[in-house]
Parts: sequence; C-alpha cells; structure tokens
Amino acid sequence: MGLILCAARGGEASYRTQQAAIALAKERQDELIFLYIIDLSFLSKTAAPIVVDIDNELEQMGNFFLLMAQERAAEFGVEARTLTRRGAVREEIIKTVQGEEATTVVLGRPGEKQSAFKMSDLEAFAFEIEQKTDAKTIIV
Amino acid sequence: MEILSEITLFSQDQIKLFEIPGGIALIISVIIFLVVFISISFQLLHETTAALMGAVAVFLVTYIGGFYNPELKILAFDDAMGIVDWNVIFLIMGMMIFMAILAETNVFKWLAFRLYEAARGNVVVIVFSLIILTGITSAFLNDVTAILLLVPLSIQIAAAIGLDPVSLVIAEVLASNIGGAATLIGDPPSTIVGSHIGLSFGDYLVNMAPVAMLCMVALLVINWLQYRKSYSESKRKVSETLTEQLAAESQIVNHSTLYKALGVFLITFIGFFTASTFGQMPPGVVALSGATILIIWVKPDIYNMLREVDWTTLLFFIGLFIVVGGMEATGAIEWMASRIILFAGENLDKAALIMTWVAGIVSGIVANIPFTVAALPIADYLTANIPGGSESRLIYWGLILGADLGGNSTYLGSAPNIVAIGLLAQAGIQVSFRRFLRDGVPVTIVTLIIATFWLLIRY
Repeated sequence: MGLILCAARGGEASYRTQQAAIALAKERQDELIFLYIIDLSFLSKTAAPIVVDIDNELEQMGNFFLLMAQERAAEFGVEARTLTRRGAVREEIIKTVQGEEATTVVLGRPGEKQSAFKMSDLEAFAFEIEQKTDAKTIIV
Repeated sequence: MEILSEITLFSQDQIKLFEIPGGIALIISVIIFLVVFISISFQLLHETTAALMGAVAVFLVTYIGGFYNPELKILAFDDAMGIVDWNVIFLIMGMMIFMAILAETNVFKWLAFRLYEAARGNVVVIVFSLIILTGITSAFLNDVTAILLLVPLSIQIAAAIGLDPVSLVIAEVLASNIGGAATLIGDPPSTIVGSHIGLSFGDYLVNMAPVAMLCMVALLVINWLQYRKSYSESKRKVSETLTEQLAAESQIVNHSTLYKALGVFLITFIGFFTASTFGQMPPGVVALSGATILIIWVKPDIYNMLREVDWTTLLFFIGLFIVVGGMEATGAIEWMASRIILFAGENLDKAALIMTWVAGIVSGIVANIPFTVAALPIADYLTANIPGGSESRLIYWGLILGADLGGNSTYLGSAPNIVAIGLLAQAGIQVSFRRFLRDGVPVTIVTLIIATFWLLIRY
C-alpha cells in the first residue's frame, strides 16, 4: 500500500488536483495525505505594521482548506490525513515527501488564470522531487 | 529670447521658472529621493531599508561631502530632527499598541462571522457586509491590520459558499483604502497630511467621512455589476463541520481584555474629538495616552507588547521624512511647486484638481506613502501662494483623496493591496497585475470623479 501526498489550497485549480488525488487513492487503495504550507515571505515586501498573529490566522485558514479536502475525500469513501508545515513551498513539499515516505506526489497543472506555478516550473519541480526522493510525481 | 517668449506665450519671469536651479545639493537630493522612490515602488528593496539608505545618504553627503565642498550640504542632523513629524510617529505607534491588544481578542473575526451567520446564506448580503465591515474597520485601525484580520476568514467563507475569493478580497482591499480616507487614523496619507496641517480628528472626519461614504456606495454598486452573475450562481449550503470550524476560530478570546480595550478606545476616540480644545494637543499625544492607559490596565507583558510595535514602519516614516526634508532644504520642492503654479495659473480649483488626479494616478503606479510625503511640501507651497488656498485647504484635501483613492488602481498602490495578494496566494490563488486592474481601475476612476465633484461643490 502506497502513500499519496497532495498539497491542498483553496483555489479552483487546487480542487481539481485534490479530486484527482482522491480518485487515485481510491483506485489504488493508497493512503492519502493533504498538505498545507504556511509561507509568510510575502510580508517582507512591505513596511506595513504587522501586529496580527498572521501565522495563527494562516494556520486556521489552512486547517479550513484541509477540512474541505477531507470532506471531499470522505464523499468518495477515502479517509485522508492532513498535515500543516511552515516555510518555502518547494522545500517543505520535498521534506514532507521524505519524512512521510510518500510514494506518489500529485501536483496540479497550472490553470489559465490561477495557479502557484508555471507549467515549466512545475515540470522542473516534479523532476526535482523525483531526484531527491523515492516518490513518483503525477501532474494532473 | 523675445521671439521665444512671444511664441511660448510666457513672460520673462515665467521663462526663468523653467530654469532648473544649479545647486549640486539640489540635484543630489532629488537623485537620492528618486533612488529611494524607485526602490520602494518596484520592491527592489524593503521599504524601511530604502528609506534608511536615503536618510543615511542625505547625512553622509551633507557631512563628508560638505566638509570638502560646502555646496554639497543638504540637511544637517539637527534640522532633520525638526523635519520628522513626530506626531505621525507617535500616532501610528499608539494605534499599533491598540491594534495589537484588540487583535488578540479576535473581535473582528467574531464580528465577521456574526455578519456571515446573519446573512443566512444570501451571497450578496454576505459579500456586502464583509466589504462594509472591512471599510469601517480600516477607518479606525490601520488598513493593513484590517486586511490581515478579515481577509483569511473572508477567503474561507468564499471557498465554503463556492464563490471566487478574488471577487470578495479585492473589493475588501478597495474598501479598506476608501474607509481609510474617512478618518485621520485610517490611512497613512490621511495621517501624514492631517498631522502636518494640524487637523483635529473632528475637522478631518467632517470633511472626509461623507465623501468616503459616497465612494463606498460606488464600490458596492460596481462590485455588484461586475459579479452579480457569480453571486447568483454560488452554492449556498455549507456543511455543518465547516460552519463549526468557522465558528470555532471566530470566538472572542479574552472578554475582559476586550471590554477594557473597547472602553479605553472609546475614551481615546472622545479624546481625538476634544484634543483641540486643550491648547492644540496633537492626536499623537491622545493615541499614546490611550495606549499607555490600556497597557497599565490590561497589564500585558511589556516586552512582548513592544515587540508587537512594528519598528520597521516607524523607521520607514522617519527615513522618508529625512529624504524629503533634504529636497525641501535644497529648494527642489519649491522649484517643482512653482511649475505647478505656472500651469495652474494661480487658480485654486485647477491646482487642487491637478493635485487630486496626479496623486491619484501616481499612487496607483508607485507607493502612495513616499508620494504623499514628497507632495506635502508642494501642497504647502501651493496653498501659501495661491489666493484662497489657506482658507479652504483645498489642495490638502485633494492630496489626501488622490493618494488614498488612487492606491486602489493597481496592487502596487498601497500596502493592503500587496498583503491581500499575498494572502490570496496562500490560498493558492495567484492574482495577476491585469486581474487587479480589472477590479481596481473602474473603482479608482469613479471614486476620483466623486472626489473631484466633492472638492468642487464642498469648497
């Protein structure tokens, strides 16, 4: 039995990726983990007063997305685990793949409007994951 | 030369105005400002780093360059300390302490969730109430804080009801910039200009809150016109588990602290209105007094509390005041202002409209805080030299409205925009420059037109 890792966020593109990961987990009877990564680097672009515990705010937002992903999986009879990590997205995905010994990583193909990566970047990242871990990557 | 003056229709005196004064210190002060301005606007350096770099450059040129050549003296350290607007610094610092204590109580998320519940699944009511809440919160708290407090919950609500979060979040950002224009403490350009001309909280509110409200109505209408189809298509049923999760993260955290903070905030708010009766007590003193009373009453860990004060922001303002002060001291600002008078022809309405629209357009392209600090001495010059300027303060109102509302057109325009785009990216949603323009530009144009009519009719 393998372990599928899927990064979960709140956009439409992420829902499609989650759906594909759920279908794959059901088909292979694999374990499924949804991952949310908190990356606060965007705050370094401005000198605005940051008096809010933004790490906590984003953790709550991430938990909500993970809960939504878990609900989707449950609708298809798949029980999914969730994880939250902090740091740069690429590094944290690779670290989690290594730490959890994931066998498959599901990455979302960039949508026309909204996505975290460009297609060429995504392919390079998929290659990097396969180089640094034992996991296979699937771009859906 | 005579022929030239006839052709160009300018007198000899006017032609002299085109001549750039030859002082090398003037040219260096302008170059320093431009380097800082470009570094901030195009995010080449962190805002604070850029402003500090500029301030240090002003001092090094003044002292080391001035030692060898007195013509290189831009601004002496003692003079620079007089140029920094400490009222702005203390006002922002005091409000930061308030925000830090209030934010810990989770009251804003609690309010947002109550509004969501009260809407009973009506998408338009949910969206409008969150937009209005963000606008009102931004009028009394720093606009970036309002965005950081409300946008993560708004994204979750939008995702839960099947609505594109971008349609809600960009409108909240626009509302935050509009709401910030309503009060003296809402938006940095408002604080900077209001403090500079010694406006009381009440004076500012009476003049700017009505136009901010009109702009808010315009924002809601435009948002409805742009997204009414997706609002009617959104699914309305949210699962019990997700609702419970939203409710759990929207609880008031510390009731006792909340009541104390609201009590002191109310007293401080009254203080803002009445301060001018006590020998022109500046709003900075009121904010700092309120914050200190709150610290004494709530007894937070003072070390943690002071860590909550964002010193990078305060240093950013200090550095920026020094850089612009350098241009003022060398005569660069006066030279630029005299060009505007040449075009405005001592017509107050024309000068005010130039100020409003230039501030509006420039603030969309580059950061509005350094622009406001640089434009302020120009506004001083125009106000002093155009008949009727001092009585109506029309040029200052134009600068405030232009800088606050103009920041809405692109996501580079003001800090809340940048922060909101970052929060959306955390939700996996990338907002392109063009995508922001699609929502921001119509609202900016309509609100600047409203501001123009307001200025012409009201003053």
